[in-house]
Amino acid sequence: MNEINPDFSAEMDQVASERSSETNFVDIFLAELGPLRKIVAGMGLSASDAEDILQDVSIRALKQPGRGRTREQCFRWLIKVTVNRCLTEFRRRKRFRRKASEILKRRSETKADLTTSEQNVIAAEELEIVRECLREMDETLLTPMVLRYFCSLGSREVGEILAMGPSAVRGRLRKARMILAKRLIERGVEP
Amino acid sequence: MQKSCEDISKMLVDYADRQLSAGESSEVAAHLTRCEDCRSILMALQRSLELAGVIWEDGLVETEAIRIPIPRKTTAPHWSKYAAIAAGILLVVAISGIWRALVGPTEKEPTFAEIERRITESYSAARLLAAVDLLAEYPDAENIADRQYRYIVETYPQTPAAAEAKLRIK
Repeated sequence: MNEINPDFSAEMDQVASERSSETNFVDIFLAELGPLRKIVAGMGLSASDAEDILQDVSIRALKQPGRGRTREQCFRWLIKVTVNRCLTEFRRRKRFRRKASEILKRRSETKADLTTSEQNVIAAEELEIVRECLREMDETLLTPMVLRYFCSLGSREVGEILAMGPSAVRGRLRKARMILAKRLIERGVEP
Repeated sequence: MQKSCEDISKMLVDYADRQLSAGESSEVAAHLTRCEDCRSILMALQRSLELAGVIWEDGLVETEAIRIPIPRKTTAPHWSKYAAIAAGILLVVAISGIWRALVGPTEKEPTFAEIERRITESYSAARLLAAVDLLAEYPDAENIADRQYRYIVETYPQTPAAAEAKLRIK
């Protein structure tokens, strides 16, 4: 019997196409380094921490077989790994390095939106309040905030990454944002 | 029925994020036109997020400066490894040749087939010897037994059974 079973042939074609479209985690890691950097920066970790974290993620990406996964799934996986790695580091050292005055100084060098010294003082005060509040914020509230507002992910995507429903994500976002807003109001800064 | 400030404030984050339905959104907007407290909360929500963005961006500037060395899977063959293996084999062959030339031919070690053959012969000889010993107990079969002992000695000369058989030959 020289004929090839059609089912077998189709199966072989499928396997071949899957292999050719095999996703490379390292390539995706390199392409999506920007959002991953954002996560690390948003969690308030230092540049040296970021280097360690992203290096770890790149090694995990290298070891991870991309077979049978779409590019989107690989990207989510990378975000998840980065978030988890950040949380480990975040729990260990909960701090933001730079002070508000330094941030403003850096911003004034690049942006000319703060013209008067009075505006600078107000902005520095506000920044200090928010910075302090972010530093003290629980990781369960900070992580969804960073992913949603800094990495521009939707509530559903954030939920998938943090293993929770979109409504739970919205709930946490509401809570986190109200904490920040109320802190500004409490401290007498007129927005 | 109009919603209270408490109800509205719970909706303010979603309102700022444009997550509310059109109806809810206009309800909040209407409340905001007449409530200064809720208006200030909304402004604080927007301002605090803006400031958080500044802080996050600042952290990002730092992380952007770092370079991540990416380890790559190599697909090219490791020629150096193969060269080392080949060199190793050549070295062993060369040393072995020199050693043979210096020491001379040594006694040949038995092969596995040879050992197997010896075991089989010992087994056959021992089995035959036991059978002949039984036969030798009958007076009428003495001659036959004697011939069989000789056969064992001739056929399986290297076996322990042959040594035993040699002692029983009359």
